[in-house]
Amino acid sequence: MKRFRFHDSPVLNVQMPLWRSRLVLVLMLLGFLAIVAKALYLQGLSNDFLQQQGERRYEKTLVLPATRGKIFDRTGQVVLASSVPARAIWTVPEDAQKATPEQLGELARLLEMPLEDIRARLANLSRNFVYIKRQVSVDTAQKIAKLKIPGIHQQAEVRRFYPEGGMTAHIVGFTNIEDRGIEGVELAFDHLLSGEPGTRRVIRDRLGRVVEDVQAAIPPVHGKDLYLSIDAGVQYDLFSALESARVKNKAAAAAGVVIDVKTGEILALANLPTYDPNESANRQGKALRNRAMVDTFEPGSIMKPFTVALALDLGRVRPDTKFDTGNGKYRYQGAVISDVSRNGVVDVGGILRRSSNIGMTMISERLTSQEMWTKFTELGFGRAPNANFPGVAEGRLRPWERWRPIERATMAYGYGLSASLLQVAHAYTAFARDGDMVSLTLVRRQGKPTSVQVFSPQIAATVRAMLDEAAGRHGTELAQVQAYRVAGKSGTARKLVNGKYSTKQYRSSFVGFAPVSDPRIVVAISIDEPHGGVYYGGRVAAPVFSEVVASSLRRLGVQPDAPLEPVLAAGPDDGVPR
Amino acid sequence: MSRLCLVFACVLMLSAFSLVTARYQSRLLFVSSERMAAKTQELDVEWRRLQLERAELARNARVDQIARQELKMVVPTPAQTVYMKNGQIVSGPAAVMQGGEQ
Repeated sequence: MKRFRFHDSPVLNVQMPLWRSRLVLVLMLLGFLAIVAKALYLQGLSNDFLQQQGERRYEKTLVLPATRGKIFDRTGQVVLASSVPARAIWTVPEDAQKATPEQLGELARLLEMPLEDIRARLANLSRNFVYIKRQVSVDTAQKIAKLKIPGIHQQAEVRRFYPEGGMTAHIVGFTNIEDRGIEGVELAFDHLLSGEPGTRRVIRDRLGRVVEDVQAAIPPVHGKDLYLSIDAGVQYDLFSALESARVKNKAAAAAGVVIDVKTGEILALANLPTYDPNESANRQGKALRNRAMVDTFEPGSIMKPFTVALALDLGRVRPDTKFDTGNGKYRYQGAVISDVSRNGVVDVGGILRRSSNIGMTMISERLTSQEMWTKFTELGFGRAPNANFPGVAEGRLRPWERWRPIERATMAYGYGLSASLLQVAHAYTAFARDGDMVSLTLVRRQGKPTSVQVFSPQIAATVRAMLDEAAGRHGTELAQVQAYRVAGKSGTARKLVNGKYSTKQYRSSFVGFAPVSDPRIVVAISIDEPHGGVYYGGRVAAPVFSEVVASSLRRLGVQPDAPLEPVLAAGPDDGVPR
Repeated sequence: MSRLCLVFACVLMLSAFSLVTARYQSRLLFVSSERMAAKTQELDVEWRRLQLERAELARNARVDQIARQELKMVVPTPAQTVYMKNGQIVSGPAAVMQGGEQ
């Protein structure tokens, strides 16, 4: 075989057509052109988009969460509601398939959930975000994180705690899982308690650490702390007194209010049955009802002092005006009005003390419907009290034009209209003060309260003396408190069942104030459907009133205004007023 | 001229190095300030938790139960209470009142 040197190779001698090299040149030029065009497009025309994409890789907007404010009682010492961090455990079901059964078993044990429940959540393969459990405590969450289960993630949340539980549940209310208030004070002051989350834009380094702020951060506005007018001590006394009375009288429900007469602050407000706001499963049904504020009822005898004060104010009766109530039965406008006992001839104070319906009917004959309606409206009946609370009831007071003649009499002793316990207690502040009703509040009061003059100071003092007597030796003895003079009125109202007044279901109540010489508190107690044999307000509600007044005055450090001799043990007698 | 150039080159180098160091330092400081802020938040959370724990322990229901059942305490009656106003005894059990008057 003949050998050639490279340059003598005959292959190289072949002349190629010139167009082929040109073609290569043109193709290469076109290639460069394409690169230049692409570079121009990326650098010049679409760089905004690309820069954004780049920033998204290393810049990040962090949300700075705002903490919800705490709720305190009036002293600021007792926390009624506070938020603590919690974790939500969530999963990407597809990733979680790799988890071993042991890991899942451990997870179920830590979360206190049945294993099948967790498996059911993990079976949902089509979704890529499934909560397993929310509001898990941080301790538990840390243990779960240590298990390193694939596909199980955590997310920061907050959890609201109510240390006092059911005792203040109706006032404080609760929040939903998104930390928004949905009941009680949590709802009423939601805008104040919940803050505004802030944001900051930061650059993160390769390790995920924040290394620089891109722009000035917007700090979060934390929720304000709220100081209620509630005194945790008085609240506890009221609550435990109601609780034992409810058990003793086998009652369906009970409610009570304590109001500071001087400032109009609601010192305590309790309802039974109650619920534990820390357990979201319990937050339903009748137990949620804030009976003292939301439920209205026919007040019955506890309305009598208002009619009496009106008649005195207009000069239609004098304190010593005598009424012959006869033998306890009285025909009036085609109906028979009856008293519990024969009262004979009594004066105005006697009518209140004996709680005579007939006497009240006779007083109402000297009044017009319009006068009564006007005064009752002034006293806040038929209007929602301005107590900055959601769902306060207005009660019902029909316009006087539509009253039937008999109704003027029944209204005089508290039937035919409806009111909430809070409204009645509020109206009683007129007697406890100098005839003016103080405005109510659930929040610790700063500055002076406003008040509305309803009765003249003299009339208020006269009725106060009558109520003092009504709660005295010859009236509702069980309401008495050792070393303090108390004034008040018991009530026993039949409940309307299917449009008829029931003879089995009653609501026993007692409203009063103490100490009489310089009233500090108004206390209203209502026991619903007592089934313990007795149902008269003077027997069922008055002892609770006495207990609550005694402990509240002790807590408030009010000086006794009565001699310190021990009160005689009050036994049941026939003259207990209804 | 060429010497001046050299000096400027050195100065430029130095300033470039110091810029890099300063930037690095600032990042380190920033990270530690972040850590402090996180610590603040952690402590605040801890404070909330402790406050709740205290509230739990100081609950009226609990105190009442312990006082009555374990310590066998009773509520004082007004007859056993001395009421004072501005350092003066204004009301109290008969014995104290007589003692106060003497």
